[in-house]
Amino acid sequence: MVFLTLSCWTRNRGPDRYWRVQELLKSARHFRGRKNRCYSLAVRAVRRAFIYASKARKAKRRSMRQLWIQRLAAASREQHMKYPALIHNLLKCSVELNRRVLCDLSITEPRSFQALTALAQARRTEGLRAALGEGAEPPGVFSRITQLQGISQSQRS
Amino acid sequence: MTARGTPSRFLQSVLHNGVGRYVCQLKRISLIFSKKGQGSLGVRDFIEEGVVDFAKSSPGTVVYISPQSCRITKIVAEYLNGNVKEETVTNKTSQEIAELITKLSNQSGLDIIRIRKPFHTDSSSIQGQWHPFTNRPPSIDPVGSQTK
Repeated sequence: MVFLTLSCWTRNRGPDRYWRVQELLKSARHFRGRKNRCYSLAVRAVRRAFIYASKARKAKRRSMRQLWIQRLAAASREQHMKYPALIHNLLKCSVELNRRVLCDLSITEPRSFQALTALAQARRTEGLRAALGEGAEPPGVFSRITQLQGISQSQRS
Repeated sequence: MTARGTPSRFLQSVLHNGVGRYVCQLKRISLIFSKKGQGSLGVRDFIEEGVVDFAKSSPGTVVYISPQSCRITKIVAEYLNGNVKEETVTNKTSQEIAELITKLSNQSGLDIIRIRKPFHTDSSSIQGQWHPFTNRPPSIDPVGSQTK
């Protein structure tokens, strides 16, 4: 060959570029537009997607709890009670069901949820009677356990 | 590593395995090694010591030993639902290989991807799922305009 310097300038950049590119594009396959095909666009889109996913892991816990509270408020209002009263009175009866379980009960076992609201309502009336009645009434049935057990005490504090 | 970008599945068991008799889901396990390579030393030790005991203890699994001239020592596990799992075991000790094989035999063949919920039930509701008329039956609480 006559011109020899041109071939001295070529570099071998590395054999693995194809697989590095494919690994990134496989996280971008479900994107819309050219971001799912073209590497430069996909790099930026995939980075944003990962950042959103990391942030969303914290936000998911918050939004799930918000959803449970909304559903419990609606379910307890159907039983003529309010959500704060339900939660506080269930806690006073030492029924330590969390919002997720209560929400599932209200959807799949409506009669059990009705019983729980009745329990909370009874405890509430007893509490009001004890507070307003100045102790003239006999002590109530549901409020007999005035001190929470040891485990729940440490959970509360 | 997004939720939509990576595959996920719900928790399940293969055909309610364990409710009646437990069926080992590992169908076939093949040890591919070389007779004289250094990487296959662990596999050769395991074949001398532990493979017969393993084959006797799991009667539903077929064990294939195939010495070939190969550079990477492999264990290929096939499951009853058709999934094939390959593990490279070059330069592993016999003890590690034994643990790996017990792990493979305890697995069902389901994919090891993100499990959406750690629980699953076929009958989610006993008392009947809530619908808008559960607590307001139309006989007691008619809906709609009742004027005149």
